[in-house]
Amino acid sequence: MPETPVRIGELVATKDPDEVLVSVGLGSCIGLAMIDRPRGIVGLAHVMLPESPNGAGPLRGRYANHAVPILLEEVLALGARPSGLEIGMAGGAQMFAKTSSIEVGRRNEEAVRLALSAASLSVKATATGGDRGRTVRVHAQGGVMTSREVAGEELVLLGKAVGVPV
Amino acid sequence: MAHYSEAQLDALGELANIGSGTACTALAQMLGRPVDIKVPSVVALPLGEAIEAVGDPELPRTAVKLDIFGDLDGTVLLVFPLEDAAALCAMLGVDPDSEVGLSALGEIGNILGTSYVNALGQMIGMEVEPHPPVTTTDMLGAIVSTVLLERDDVGDTALMLDSAMFVEGEQCELSFLLVPSADGVADLLSRIGM
Repeated sequence: MPETPVRIGELVATKDPDEVLVSVGLGSCIGLAMIDRPRGIVGLAHVMLPESPNGAGPLRGRYANHAVPILLEEVLALGARPSGLEIGMAGGAQMFAKTSSIEVGRRNEEAVRLALSAASLSVKATATGGDRGRTVRVHAQGGVMTSREVAGEELVLLGKAVGVPV
Repeated sequence: MAHYSEAQLDALGELANIGSGTACTALAQMLGRPVDIKVPSVVALPLGEAIEAVGDPELPRTAVKLDIFGDLDGTVLLVFPLEDAAALCAMLGVDPDSEVGLSALGEIGNILGTSYVNALGQMIGMEVEPHPPVTTTDMLGAIVSTVLLERDDVGDTALMLDSAMFVEGEQCELSFLLVPSADGVADLLSRIGM
C-alpha cells in the first residue's frame, strides 16, 4: 500500500480507506493525529514550531497554533464529528539532550496541547518527549495511529490493529 | 521564501569544496590513509524536500553536531552510516559500541569540523569557532530537522552544504553538512561579494 508522506510543516486529511499518512523521522516536531473511526476520517499534521503571531503561511501545519484549527477544519469538512474525534500526538523529542537549551520539542508539545484545549479537544494517546526520533503512521482503515522509534517496534497509540498491517 | 541564483549556489559550493578539502586532509592525517572527497552539493529547497535530499529520513545514522559561533551562525553536522562509524572506530583501534567509541567519533567531528570552518573562515575573513561536539544515533530525518529547527530564523526553505568523503579501500563514508542560519547564508554571500 503506498503511503502518503506528510512532510515537515504539512498537514493532510483523508477519508480514502486505502490511505496511510506518514511523517517519517520526527525529532522535535509533533505528529498530531485526528481520527473519526466510525466515519473513516483521519488527519495528520507535522508541526514544526509552537506559534506564529502572523498567518499560517504556505506550510499550514508549521505552527501549532494554526495547525490545530486548520486540521480540525479539514477533518470536519470531510464529515467528521467533533464529539467522535480521537486525538493522538507523538514526537517532541529533545534529540541533543546535553547542550541544547532551546527545548523546541517540549515547547511544541505544550503549544499543541494549548491549541487543542482552546478547541475543546483532549488528547487520548501520546508518545512524546524523550531523546529519540519517531515515525508516525495514521491508517484511514480502522483509524489506527502508530509510533515507532529508530530500530524499535511499531506501537499502536490509537485504534486496534485488526485487519491493518502494522 | 529565500531564493538563490545559480551563481550564488555555485559560489557556496566552492566554499564547501574548500572546507571539505581541508577536513579531508585532516582525516587522512589522523588515519594515515588516503581519503577522497566527492563534489559537494548545495541543497537549497523547501524544508521537507531539503531533509529528504540529505538521505532517506528513516535510516538510522550516527551524527556528530557542532554548533558554530563567531562571525557565522550555524551548525556543522557529520553523518555516518552505523557500519561506517564502526569502521572508523576500528581504524582508530577503539570499540565502536563503547563510550570511548562515541567520544572518539565526537573528537573526529571536532577536528574535522574545526578544520572545515577554519578553512572557510580564512577564505572569507570570518572568525568562526565550534562549540564542543554532541553525538547521537537516530533517524536521519529527526536529526536534520532538529538541527534546522534550532535556528531562530528557520524559514520555509533550507540551505545546506553537503560534502561526502570516504576512506579509500574501506567501507567508510561520511557526509559533512554545513547548515548556516538564514542570516549566516546572507553573511557568507556578502563576504564573497555575491
